[in-house]
Amino acid sequence: MENPQHSQDVRIVRATSAFDCGGRCPLLLHVKDNKIIRIEGDDHPDSDRQLRTCLRCRAYRKYVHHPERLMHPQKRAGAKGEGKFERISWDEALSILSDKLKETKDKFGPESILLMTGGGYLASLHSGSMAAPRLLNQFGGYTTHYGNISSEGAVWASLVQYGSVMVGHSREDMLNSKLIILWGWDPARMISGSNTMHHLLKAKENGARVISVEPRYTDTAAAVADKWIPIYPGTDTAMMAAMAYVMITEDLHDQAFLDKYTIGFDKFKEYILGDEDGQAKTPQWAEAVCGVPAETIADLAREYAAAKPAALMDCQGPARSAMGEQYCRFAATLSAMTGNVGKPGGSACGGLMGIPIGHMFRMSAIPPGKNPVEMTGPKIKGTLDIRDRVIKRIHINKLWEAILEGKAGGFPADVKMAWSMCNNYLNQIGNANKGDKALKKLPFFAVNEIFMTAQARYADLLLPVTTAAERSDLTYAWPSGPYYTFVNRAIEPLGECKSDLEICEMLSDYLGVKDYRLGAKEDDILKHMVDQNPVTSKYVTDFDKFKNDGIHRIELKEPYIAFRKQIEDPENNPFDTPSGKIEIYSQRVADINSPKCPPVPKYIPTFEDRNDPLFEKYPLQLLTPHPRNRVHSEMYKVEWLREAEPHVLWIHPKDAEARGVSNGDDIQAFNDRGRVALKAFVTQRIKPGVVCMFEGAWYQPDENGIDRGACANTLTKDDYSGGGAAVMNTSLVQVAKA
Amino acid sequence: MQMGFYFDQTRCTGCNACRVACKDWNDVPEGPEAWMQVKYLEQGETPDVFVAYMIQTCFHCESPICAEACPAGAITKRPEDGIVLVDRNACLGKEECGAKCLKACPYDAPQFGPEPGAKMGKCVFCTDRLVQGKMPSCVEACYTRALDFGPLDELQKKYGQAVEAPNFKYSKRTKPSVIMNPKNPK
Ligand code: SF4
Ligand code: SF4
Ligand code: SF4
Repeated sequence: MENPQHSQDVRIVRATSAFDCGGRCPLLLHVKDNKIIRIEGDDHPDSDRQLRTCLRCRAYRKYVHHPERLMHPQKRAGAKGEGKFERISWDEALSILSDKLKETKDKFGPESILLMTGGGYLASLHSGSMAAPRLLNQFGGYTTHYGNISSEGAVWASLVQYGSVMVGHSREDMLNSKLIILWGWDPARMISGSNTMHHLLKAKENGARVISVEPRYTDTAAAVADKWIPIYPGTDTAMMAAMAYVMITEDLHDQAFLDKYTIGFDKFKEYILGDEDGQAKTPQWAEAVCGVPAETIADLAREYAAAKPAALMDCQGPARSAMGEQYCRFAATLSAMTGNVGKPGGSACGGLMGIPIGHMFRMSAIPPGKNPVEMTGPKIKGTLDIRDRVIKRIHINKLWEAILEGKAGGFPADVKMAWSMCNNYLNQIGNANKGDKALKKLPFFAVNEIFMTAQARYADLLLPVTTAAERSDLTYAWPSGPYYTFVNRAIEPLGECKSDLEICEMLSDYLGVKDYRLGAKEDDILKHMVDQNPVTSKYVTDFDKFKNDGIHRIELKEPYIAFRKQIEDPENNPFDTPSGKIEIYSQRVADINSPKCPPVPKYIPTFEDRNDPLFEKYPLQLLTPHPRNRVHSEMYKVEWLREAEPHVLWIHPKDAEARGVSNGDDIQAFNDRGRVALKAFVTQRIKPGVVCMFEGAWYQPDENGIDRGACANTLTKDDYSGGGAAVMNTSLVQVAKA
Repeated sequence: MQMGFYFDQTRCTGCNACRVACKDWNDVPEGPEAWMQVKYLEQGETPDVFVAYMIQTCFHCESPICAEACPAGAITKRPEDGIVLVDRNACLGKEECGAKCLKACPYDAPQFGPEPGAKMGKCVFCTDRLVQGKMPSCVEACYTRALDFGPLDELQKKYGQAVEAPNFKYSKRTKPSVIMNPKNPK
């Protein structure tokens, strides 16, 4: 058998993907004849330090070279949404798009152009979410969305509490913890930084006690947890309030820490003790809300208060709910009460887990300039009042309603055309069936895509996009490095594919936008980006080596600890909040004056919780966590990954039995928004009353409107919380045998 | 010398990176044929649930019963390192012999594609990687470092003698070359 690795024409290219993934793992791509033929992982000589990729990038070549990749520009040849297209030239495609943009701007104003760019390609240069705003800003403006589906609740909470989104520790710091509480966090699946699970396992082996609070017994919990505390979705803050109650009434909290570093604990205490609303937040009260026995709650409170240091690991998942930001604020408040903020082995909470080195938020970019349409709007930089944010923009989880209702529905514009890239919105924001209606009504829809995704089927114009393997770029992980990665172009573009940046460059000629083209070589631009970035340039001093290695690792002398300076030397390092302290009570939030945004963190009843009258009809709470075998909806088509884990609905045996459902049965899950068909996974690993399906499977309605692809968002609500969180984990459903 | 695997069941999260990396390196096509698979075990009741994963691959047994079962003599054990290999040219195809190797193997290691006449494929211990001084692809891929490999006596020195684990039965008849770190219910 010929071994291609021994043949001379195999090149090894150092790269990473640029998926919307919490990890960013170095890949050694074996390339022969413009084809990736094999993949190896990080070859750092110390195998313990290797940043090992998960199954997804192990299947990278099957994604890049997938037979269903879009290879040519196409225009619609059937009804909207039917998925029938005919091939056209780039010239025709760009003429169509530029004519539509000009015509829409002239006839209806630039605000009637909706630009939708997402996080599907997280790299500096070729990303559509940088390139397209820059182009349309120069062209005359557009309306866009505010927020991202993943993290708004956590971002809001971190900004309120700390005035900062860099709330994480580098992962090896978990080895300093005596107790780790995984509160909704499942890094075995969603990665949360390459090697995070490895460090968590080491922490466990190092003697840390680990407790998981979650509606599901996750794979992370199965590997490391000493105890699983199942809880109802959306009720985390009830349990946290009761933990605070126990700490306060048993005098277990760290009053000295609270006095020195925080403001507003007294007001919080009034709420907890019931002085404010007449309801003491006792464990018995919480038990009735969250389904966790009162004694278990009290025990955890005592254990958490006693273990020093202890890391409460909240995350973004439970914060994707109807009062999601309260959960992250509450977690941060408990962390302050136990004196664990800014300490090795502790945790600041806030859900974002980022450190400022190698973080996506510190990514290099070509400044996109200002959007003429937004010049007249309110100042929204740093605002906590979401109402201000949706004067000029549309909340991301309201896009479909905005298209359907326009200004009459209170939205900023009547949308006449939309252009989407780096996101399969129809699949990845709430209420896919409403999306189906909106996209069928939308007069013109252009989509840059790699595959014929659920959303791409609705396009009037489809522009084929290259994968990260077909361009060079700089990439970052969501939450942290500490390292920087360089994507070396592995292969020349397949078919007629272009990057989003290249599409914008070509389109700029058709639009008559001058000086848009960068006019420099890819590598030179990337070098410039590295050199100009104040963070990157501090670390990456030898660009050629960086490019050659595909990675620049940063040796931290000790683990990075969020807010360490603020805690060790508070005089000289105030928190970036108005008071300079950790704000358990926030005057800025009080000023919003909305019951959805209490100034101290609270448990708040919401729509589609267990007390909603709808609960009678739809008595199961739906969770839609990250999938393991794709990145959201990216890589959905890759067979190697699909066969590794079938798409199923987790349901407890009690709930299954009540519905005559056995493991592996065909079932349907439904509510007033839609109906999905998939198979049941009957398991003790989920709390009775809760079901779970992983997000990202492609929406595929049949002629009766039943979603045969079983996209989680066929069932989720298109709404957001007081802090702007998309409510992906606040849905009631019913399940029946198909 | 006998090559073997080490599997730390306490570290495995069932991620399947090993399965995919094996398919990638050995170019195993889409479909049910997978030389490295991950089995699932769930016991107990909410909230006292026990979940464990177990690898399913060829363990390059000391007495490979698969080789004895093969009517074509297509399966052989290399004397120098005990790696059990199949000669796909000699293999008769799954219908012809009725997949005798698969029936004989206690670990369902021999794999067949769905196509008629499919030849047996199974773990080759990434011999092409071993000669280059590299780890097998599955071992290199495991992000939790649940897998290791090496001469069996060295593995025993490093990790001990345990050969039993939940969802795995050590066959005294074939003597699989594997050391386990079992994950046991609390
Ligand atoms: S595990 Fe099965 S296929 Fe592998 S050597 Fe043993 S008997 Fe043969
Ligand atoms: S050693 Fe190689 S062939 Fe064997 S299971 Fe691992 S990756 Fe597959
Ligand atoms: S790669 Fe490692 S953790 Fe993942 S399933 Fe395989 S053995 Fe388990």
